[in-house]
Amino acid sequence: MTALLEIRDLHASVGDKPILKGINLTINTGEVHAIMGPNGSGKSTMSYVLAGRDGYKVTGGDILMKGESLLEMEPDERARAGMFLAFQYPVELPGVGGMSFLRAAVNARRVEAGEEEIDQLGFVKIVREKAKLLGISDDMLKRAVNVGFSGGEKKRYEILQMALLEPSMAVLDETDSGLDVDALRIVSEGVNLLRDPGRAMLVITHYQRLLNHIVPDQVHILAGGKIRKSGGKELALEVEESGYAGIDDAA
Amino acid sequence: MPGSMMLPDLSAVTPEGGVRAAALARWQEQGWPGHRAEAWRYTRLDRLDDLDLAPVTGLAGTASGPADDAARGIGAHVLRFVNGVFDPAGLSDLPEGMTIVDLGSDEAALSRLADLAPAGHPVSDLSLAVMSGGILIDITGAVDAPLMVIFEGDDSKASAHPAMLVRLAEGASLQLAEWHQSSVGLAAPLIGYDIGAGARLEQVKVQAEGAEVAHLAATGVALSDGASVAGFSLSTGAALARLETHVTMQGEGADCQLSAIYMGRGTQHQDITTYMDHAVANCTSNQIIRGVLDDSARGVYQGRVHVAPDAQKTDGQQMSRALLLSRKAEADAKPELEIYADDVVCAHGATVGELDATQMFYLTSRGIPETIARAMLIEAFLIDTIETIENATLAGLLRPVAEAWLAGSEGA
Repeated sequence: MTALLEIRDLHASVGDKPILKGINLTINTGEVHAIMGPNGSGKSTMSYVLAGRDGYKVTGGDILMKGESLLEMEPDERARAGMFLAFQYPVELPGVGGMSFLRAAVNARRVEAGEEEIDQLGFVKIVREKAKLLGISDDMLKRAVNVGFSGGEKKRYEILQMALLEPSMAVLDETDSGLDVDALRIVSEGVNLLRDPGRAMLVITHYQRLLNHIVPDQVHILAGGKIRKSGGKELALEVEESGYAGIDDAA
Repeated sequence: MPGSMMLPDLSAVTPEGGVRAAALARWQEQGWPGHRAEAWRYTRLDRLDDLDLAPVTGLAGTASGPADDAARGIGAHVLRFVNGVFDPAGLSDLPEGMTIVDLGSDEAALSRLADLAPAGHPVSDLSLAVMSGGILIDITGAVDAPLMVIFEGDDSKASAHPAMLVRLAEGASLQLAEWHQSSVGLAAPLIGYDIGAGARLEQVKVQAEGAEVAHLAATGVALSDGASVAGFSLSTGAALARLETHVTMQGEGADCQLSAIYMGRGTQHQDITTYMDHAVANCTSNQIIRGVLDDSARGVYQGRVHVAPDAQKTDGQQMSRALLLSRKAEADAKPELEIYADDVVCAHGATVGELDATQMFYLTSRGIPETIARAMLIEAFLIDTIETIENATLAGLLRPVAEAWLAGSEGA
């Protein structure tokens, strides 16, 4: 197994406020890791720093994907290199048709890989196939991106994008938030279908329940901008029982 | 007193009395608007200072641009003004229900055009006075084929004064596209649309003049009982452009949709000015204005809705939104409601904003390059406005022009 993502002593600030204070984490190809942590621990900052969002400033350390540093890369370059972030709050794009959005994303990836752009008809077929598995209707596909979608629909649409873009590194930021039991099951099944020996995933969540469905290889507890504890999937259960109170974040 | 700015050489122009002589006298009295003219507060004509222009009287020069292909694409009958002078070649094979005669020799039509034209607008007088070969188009029925009027010409020393009065008889209908693609010094089209009872005009205007052109358009519209107008302008060209349209609801039950998109980059100045006069009761008007400005471009929307004391049950709406793509771009909006009736529904609104950073991040996080993401969001900003155009044929003319502008933006 080789390291797909290596985070080395990562420090990051939002504005002038340090949020991440020395994260070390290695995820090998084929592995699913989970990051759990209380509110304000830096979970979402971590996901935005990985995706390269403006305003999330890396002040120290490095992030390597497939051995290459991401720090100098723009969000679109990172995405084309294989990074994917499933948003906690997917963004509505009024006036941007869903199909043209999906096709623009897929074609950007294809052009980067030196492949032909995909034509509309062929693309519609592929999208419908993958959408069906996620219970996404044709009507939803025709609408503007995320506009008028329920919370659950938005999350399923994130997973659809992930399925189409076939990233090597998928970061799922609080994908379970706002989902009822059925939606959680559908989304989790969608994610599990994408588990692949060539792909790594980082599942960021506040609650353990998602990890019943997407069973991680490793669990890390993030608190106060540092990883305080790492372990197997049983660590998530431990947190479920005793809460985050037992995690020492004063260190 | 005439303003200090460029005065076209009028020595060759001698209107022989009547409406045109009166217009010339007014022009010579008023000239270009001075610095204190409130209506020209946001659009100064100082840059015309350096131009040394003269009206053209003869038909000369060759022209080119995308308008001819666009006209062929929709099977339109083409009329052409070259450097402001009407090309009579367009008079053959007119579609059924359309006649065209010389405007200059019809004093009643000239008088009507003078009435329709924006009052106090310099072009209203100047172009009426110095026009050469203006035309009077009469529509007597439902004309099937669209009419495309192309304004072109490559004489950079020309001040072009095309003049045209389009009269729709009772119950007539017409689809008309104005396409402005010249490289003259000053393009000053004077156009009147006189819409008879129950008649319908579907009109689009493409302002895609050359980069050095000053485009000052004066357009007047009058609607009789139950008449309807769906007008849409797309203004992307010229160094300085002002599209000024005055509409008079003179018959009850009339409806006027008058929307516009302007797009500017570099140091372009784009001005959309409208005056919607609800003179009688039970009429509706709606204006949707969208502006996209990059670099140091400037955009202006001035829209006044006037509701006369007897114009009860008026519904007059206007909404303008401008999108600034650069810190140096600037948009001014001056919506005004002047309401003298008490039973009306009128509203206006104006916003100026930037591209949403969160939306940009969402798009780029999917691998979409920033330039394409920007174009997608700009298109999204414009799309609902273009979709208000019911006539798909005419709407189809505008899309490529807007897309070409967006493609130019990608290269920036």
